[in-house]
Amino acid sequence: MQLETTRFGTIDIDPDSVITLTQPILGFQEFRRFIKLPGPSEFLTWLQSTDSGELAFILLDPRSVIPDYKADLTKQELSELAVSSVAELEVYTLVVVPPDRSQIRTNLRAPILISPKHRLGKQIILERSDYPIQYFLAQHQPGQGQPQEVSNARTDA
Amino acid sequence: MLVLTRKEDESIMIGDDIEVKVLDLRENQVKVGIIAPRSVAVHRREVYLAIQAENAQAAAVSKVDNISNLIPR
Repeated sequence: MQLETTRFGTIDIDPDSVITLTQPILGFQEFRRFIKLPGPSEFLTWLQSTDSGELAFILLDPRSVIPDYKADLTKQELSELAVSSVAELEVYTLVVVPPDRSQIRTNLRAPILISPKHRLGKQIILERSDYPIQYFLAQHQPGQGQPQEVSNARTDA
Repeated sequence: MLVLTRKEDESIMIGDDIEVKVLDLRENQVKVGIIAPRSVAVHRREVYLAIQAENAQAAAVSKVDNISNLIPR
């Protein structure tokens, strides 16, 4: 099957590689099917909607910036993705890329979890965590001192 | 908006399978317990709205050339 996309031109989609979201990316309820495409570095992956060629997200492996990043899922959340442990899941966070480089950020509070085996995924909100919704990547640049404590960057009081 | 008055430990049923219970009352805070099927997502509204807004910004990303040097290789 072929898909015309705004970012990648016309691409071939293997139906077996399509990931179905069991819970939507909030605000994008009607878009449930996506494929992963390689991003510009090993830590970046595109998530392209197969329902709309115009919709795509850039995903970051959050452990590239927070090595001990943890998404704690409940048993129910795990079973929805047909797995028994987070270790079976790929963990990604969405990145926002405004023209101002200092504003480039990722949402550590609401990661995207994907079960590669079952090709299921969803966005979850880590209700009990202090991870910020806006974690600015520039604060991680080498030579700019220690990364800011995540707990200081809370966006939800 | 339907308005119901409830006391501590009293609850409200929404449909057959969603229960909202008042667990604790303080001067300016109320602790609410929610029992709902797992297909129903339950979130604090301000967090939900903030994530929805951030997702919309994430969907607007088209060029990513300037991210790569912000993450370790």
